[in-house]
Amino acid sequence: MLAASYTQAAALPAPRGFSFHTMKHIVYLSRAVHPLSDQDLQELLDQCRRDNIQHHVTGILLYSHGNIAQLFEAEPEVADALFERIARDGRHSHVQKLIDRPISARSFAQWSMAFHPLEPAGFEALEGFLLPHRVPAPPTSLSIADATLVELVCLAVFGPDTSAPYAQALPGAAQ
Amino acid sequence: MREQHLQDILRRLPAGVATLEGEELRYTFINEAMAGLLGPADATGQPVAVHAGPWPADLLDVMQQVYRTGKAYVAKACQLQTGAAGPIYCDVALEPVLDDNRISGLLLFAVDVTVQEQARQRTHELAIETRRLDARLRVLTETAPQITFTVDGAGRYEYVSPQWYLFTGQPPTCDLNAIWPLLIHPDDRLRVLYQSEAARKAGVGWSYEYRLRRYDGHYRWMLSRALPELHAPGQPVYWHGALTEVHDQRELSEARRRGEAELRFLADSIPELIWTATPEGFVEYYNRFTEDYSGLSTDELGPTGWINLLHPSEQAAAGRQWVHCIATGEPYENVFRMRRHDGRYRWHIIRARQLTDEQGPRWFGACTDVDDQHRLRQVLQTQYDELAQANRDLDTFVYTASHDLKQPVLNLRGLFDELRQGATFADPQAEQMLGMLDEALTQLDLTLQELAATVRDQRGLSAPAEELDVRNVAEEVLLGLRAQVQETEAVVELDAEAAPTLVYGRANLRSVLHNLVSNALKFVHPDRPPHVRVRSYLSAAGQPVLEVRDNGSGMVLPSQPAPVFQPFARQHPHIGGSGVGLYLVQRIITSRGGHLEVSSEVGEGTAFTVYWQERGLNGHA
Ligand SMILES: Cc1cc2nc3c(=O)[nH]c(=O)nc-3n(C[C@H](O)[C@H](O)[C@H](O)COP(=O)(O)O)c2cc1C
Repeated sequence: MLAASYTQAAALPAPRGFSFHTMKHIVYLSRAVHPLSDQDLQELLDQCRRDNIQHHVTGILLYSHGNIAQLFEAEPEVADALFERIARDGRHSHVQKLIDRPISARSFAQWSMAFHPLEPAGFEALEGFLLPHRVPAPPTSLSIADATLVELVCLAVFGPDTSAPYAQALPGAAQ
Repeated sequence: MREQHLQDILRRLPAGVATLEGEELRYTFINEAMAGLLGPADATGQPVAVHAGPWPADLLDVMQQVYRTGKAYVAKACQLQTGAAGPIYCDVALEPVLDDNRISGLLLFAVDVTVQEQARQRTHELAIETRRLDARLRVLTETAPQITFTVDGAGRYEYVSPQWYLFTGQPPTCDLNAIWPLLIHPDDRLRVLYQSEAARKAGVGWSYEYRLRRYDGHYRWMLSRALPELHAPGQPVYWHGALTEVHDQRELSEARRRGEAELRFLADSIPELIWTATPEGFVEYYNRFTEDYSGLSTDELGPTGWINLLHPSEQAAAGRQWVHCIATGEPYENVFRMRRHDGRYRWHIIRARQLTDEQGPRWFGACTDVDDQHRLRQVLQTQYDELAQANRDLDTFVYTASHDLKQPVLNLRGLFDELRQGATFADPQAEQMLGMLDEALTQLDLTLQELAATVRDQRGLSAPAEELDVRNVAEEVLLGLRAQVQETEAVVELDAEAAPTLVYGRANLRSVLHNLVSNALKFVHPDRPPHVRVRSYLSAAGQPVLEVRDNGSGMVLPSQPAPVFQPFARQHPHIGGSGVGLYLVQRIITSRGGHLEVSSEVGEGTAFTVYWQERGLNGHA
């Protein structure tokens, strides 16, 4: 393909006053109060996976060297209540909400968590666990602005090296 | 019986009681409490000097003196040497016992006052410690750079540290309460007096800033902070506080606040989209013009919302480039179309740079509207391209025309020569005219040759065939046509895999590709953007073929294909162009031994197929 293709749909923010939405997504960054050990991480993973399956929360949590970022999708009341709880959680601080928007559909099929365990052996088989370089590309159902946001969040958590797989993520990266 | 009863009481008394008899002061009676003090061995009958027990030596001396003088004595808080863990203190009363007016012994009476004594000693230690702390506090308050003070409930100064006198230059004899308010800057005075009174009334502390006159007459900003000293449960009686000079910080932060407000005002006044972003690349501020231009608030735009404003076809590349810049710190620059609140896209240059100073890195971005320039340039480029093409076409036309005219001129020359030989003219003037005609014919031939040679050399149309990368040449051609491609939102597909190279004249291949592709971009179907497929492949006979197929409006082909390629035969009179394009393509191809085929369906599209070499010639190869 030589010339540009013009098929990408425009992703525009919802018009003002438009309130009928069944879903929303929230993205935040935060700092762990103290570095999380493998055991801390596994406990968090277990707890979140259990609760998120129960409340139909999907998304992804990223952790590295005390940097935390999470995107989650749920029904608005569920998402708001969850964010409230997370923001009050004493395990992290400096919770900075980046986006809180209605969405028309989910982009993540489940909830998972990506980090570098000190002892990766036990983790690889864990349901919902991902090594940072295995984090899938931001789904194409996200607007490009949101996909860029997810990439920046990934960059902020993992730094420029491990975020490399995401560089393939945006449409047309292979050109 | 009564004696016995008395003895019982004495024995059980909680104070120690003993009697000592004779010059040697032998113990005669020891109650239980005293026995506890004297130790386990029974001392009854022993002289006190032998069984000294807990008594210190000087007390033994005093016992002797009391015995001798008959004057009673009380040793207060006398420390006893018992085996117990801590020291034991007793008040020991020594009373002479008289027998017939003669001293016959002593009555020893010991009351344990250890607890009282310990309390007294602690108090003493505390007093010493308090004096030490007091001294330290004084040193501290008088050496710290702050002025410290104590105010009573009525607002009268009880104490002010010497720094106040140093700062204000007032003599130590001045009346503090009268002079202090006068040293406060007139603009701050009322406020300060009101605030401190309000705080005192409410029984709370205060913290405020005001200007105080220095010894040199300059007013300096001071921070006054004080807390009430609470005397439970009543009113606070004193406020203790400190006065810190904050002039420089205040000037600095004032300047910074002013600077920030001015910068923001500036940013909000500039008719450009301006924004700042965190080191992680999240936009945190969009200026007012951005909101006006986009019709969206900062909140609606969000941390990466500027991407939403870009033309959908440009968003992915823009996002990718931004992520790259955040990762590397490289400046960001590109030209994009940005959507205005009314839905119109205008071209903008987006630039962003990272600022790193002591406040940490931040990104500053600006989007400059270059739409007018961009459009003007596009128009100029299109005109330039059209002119260049027309020029090329005309050159080629001149070349081919001169080539085509060669034969008729040759024929004319033949006829003329024959006429000259066969016919005679009576008129002498005729001979002269024949000579002129001959000359004119020669001249015409020469001119045609020169014309052809000039254009040929200039345009490289006669350049020898070379091996060409079809894809390369096609990409060059498309680069020249990019304005049309963008304008029509065309998708051009290029597939030269089956036959990547072609031996041909470079200028000729360019000319053919240019004409066929621009043709496809011209005759666009009104309901869909053009989709042009350029394919280089080998025919069944192994000969190189080029196909240019479009989904445009198509055309009605005459029964004979020839007229399509006639010069000036315009298929679509409503669309501009010199009309010589296809004629030239045809001429180029046939002059190099190939041929051109066309198939078309109205409303569906057109396909041109170029057979570079004649089937008949090399079909068997
Ligand atoms: C970084 C981080 C991410 C979290 N993510 C989730 C989550 O996705 N889902 C969830 O149910 N709890 C999550 N939690 C846990 C909640 O903060 C909270 O502990 C949990 O919901 C239980 O709340 P409760 O003790 O008030 O019931 C997270 C905690 C931290 C520190």
